Amino acid sequence: MFRKVLIANRGEIAVRILRACHEMAIPAVCVYSDVDRTALHVRLCEEAYPIGPAPSRESYLRIDKLIDVAKRSGCDAIHPGYGFLAENPAFVRACVDAGITFIGPSAEAMETMGSKTAGKQLARRAEVPTVPGADVPLEDPDEAQSLARAMGYPVMLKAVAGGGGKGMRIVTEDGAFASAWRDAGSEALNAFGDARVFLEKYLEAPRHIEIQILADAHGRVVSLGERECSIQRRHQKVIEEAPSMVVTPELRRKMGEAAVRLARAGGYVNAGTVEFLVDANLSFYFLEVNTRLQVEHPVTEQVTGLDLVKLQIAIAAGHRLPFAWETISPRGHAMEVRLYAEDPDNNFFPCPGKIVARRIATGPGIRLDEGVYRGWTIPIEYDPLLSKLIAWGNSREETIARLRRALDEYTISGIRTNVSLFRRILNEPEFLAGEIHTKWLDDLLTRPRPPAVPPRPGSEAAAAIAAAYWESIQPAGTKSGGTEGNRASRWKTEGRRAQVDRLP
Amino acid sequence: MKYEVYLEGATGKSKHRVDLEKDGSGYKVLLDGQPVDADVILAAPNAVSVILNGTAFEIHIAPTLEGHYKLQTGPHEYVADVRDPRAWRGKKLGGMEAEGRQQILAPMPGKVIRLLAKAGDEVEAGQGLVVIEAMKMQNEIRSPKRGRVERLHAQEGQAVNAGDVLAWVD
Repeated sequence: MFRKVLIANRGEIAVRILRACHEMAIPAVCVYSDVDRTALHVRLCEEAYPIGPAPSRESYLRIDKLIDVAKRSGCDAIHPGYGFLAENPAFVRACVDAGITFIGPSAEAMETMGSKTAGKQLARRAEVPTVPGADVPLEDPDEAQSLARAMGYPVMLKAVAGGGGKGMRIVTEDGAFASAWRDAGSEALNAFGDARVFLEKYLEAPRHIEIQILADAHGRVVSLGERECSIQRRHQKVIEEAPSMVVTPELRRKMGEAAVRLARAGGYVNAGTVEFLVDANLSFYFLEVNTRLQVEHPVTEQVTGLDLVKLQIAIAAGHRLPFAWETISPRGHAMEVRLYAEDPDNNFFPCPGKIVARRIATGPGIRLDEGVYRGWTIPIEYDPLLSKLIAWGNSREETIARLRRALDEYTISGIRTNVSLFRRILNEPEFLAGEIHTKWLDDLLTRPRPPAVPPRPGSEAAAAIAAAYWESIQPAGTKSGGTEGNRASRWKTEGRRAQVDRLP
Repeated sequence: MKYEVYLEGATGKSKHRVDLEKDGSGYKVLLDGQPVDADVILAAPNAVSVILNGTAFEIHIAPTLEGHYKLQTGPHEYVADVRDPRAWRGKKLGGMEAEGRQQILAPMPGKVIRLLAKAGDEVEAGQGLVVIEAMKMQNEIRSPKRGRVERLHAQEGQAVNAGDVLAWVD
């Protein structure tokens, strides 16, 4: 096992990895930027080093500084978490050159599987279904039309030089093909000066379903089943769950086998995720591979009983995977919501700031993975993820009931959060029936909001009394700023500025 | 102690008089002149528990940049402006309406990336004044009222903290 592990990340995922190290009794080292000196991962660790100013380009993305800290502190392994350098082959090579184990796949596997085009080519070689279509631009309309017939309608014509929906046509029937071909070509020529178009099968309202895999260095590759991640806002996952309501044991086996074949073909080692689009006929098509731990990994942990981070560390240390099976049956149901510091009433603008008060959710079937605490000021420089709230239960219904209950318990004040979005989604009939797809949430947000639940009788009176009481207990002279106010004294700020900015 | 509480919630605005009189370890509470059975206590930092005739409310309180209080109880939110009518220095009146000379504050820490107006410009209510970038998102800060930009403190490229004065509109 490793002597010491460097955690090259911050926030909730740094805390998650730190906990795994503590459980395995492996000493861990954390790093922090100037604004993260009091971040939770730094407060919970035994050893920590500064790596520079707040912008990630000057701290968490600095390969040289991270390798230097690892060497100085005697680390023989680095866990990258997700984001930042987790999918950067240059970082993996720098680790190898320094004689440090990177807890993740090799740089080569990252390159072959991580890129969309290379990943698709590998998928074809491994006989993993990809979205049917022609990779090369088509010249002859008749040839294109017979190809469209062969793959079945609807199909999509896409400009080679395309973007922004220009030169794009969805064709639903054979009779409309010729005119759509002309329109797409001339539109593409006008917009981009290039009339060439691709042809691709069009998936109507597809689901995003991904397979978690684990591969050890001794040739064993296993699938840990699927996660349903179709609830997305502008391509960003918002809710994830396992199992998916549409995945049968048969489909789970087929998707798992496809993911395992792909991992073997790419020489993949460690934890990874193979993402698929699944259409209404339950045909699945390869989308891409994420060569790292995913944000939503706790969902899989709750239905498999496995600890993915500890397994990642064990695999990197050369241990064998301790399972014999190649697919898995999930136990119960798990669902994760991503709580962000953003304002759902104002186009989901990020709302960083200080957490003035907080009541957390606990109790049966609830897990809270987070990197925040009361009194912490969310920095503006990074992703505004506050907490991942995960619920699990015997059934999807029980899981949703627990999640609703936990969202009522979880209160945070001082900053705005997207918690109201989840209260809404978890009461939508289509969501409850599992009738979802990757555009479902974007559609929902264009519909009028259901009427708000009226406040309980007495709410207003209680609020008035609470406000007066709060005013009465404020120390004299502070007026309504309160002891927990966000405003620093102007005199102090000015004094600090005078000390720091000595040059004009 | 007597307070006037101006409350604004999703269901509208209201004004209440609240009298709090020490009574043993708790308070005697009068709401709009009527005695009410209310047990009020600080349950945790910034969390007030009110039990009103047996109905329990936990209310989380945070100050706003304008010097008011934001109250949250379950999914419901209120903004309260609390005034002590006996205090010789009254707070500024009509805090919820954009009337008179307005201070434009940065709602979040970030960087000023663009100025959309300059000192002396006539602006409409809702017209953008400054664009602030925070967390890689651009946020337009708008004028709360129609008027003239009296002063513009913000400068392009400047880093600002939440609550910093960006401009004055009169």
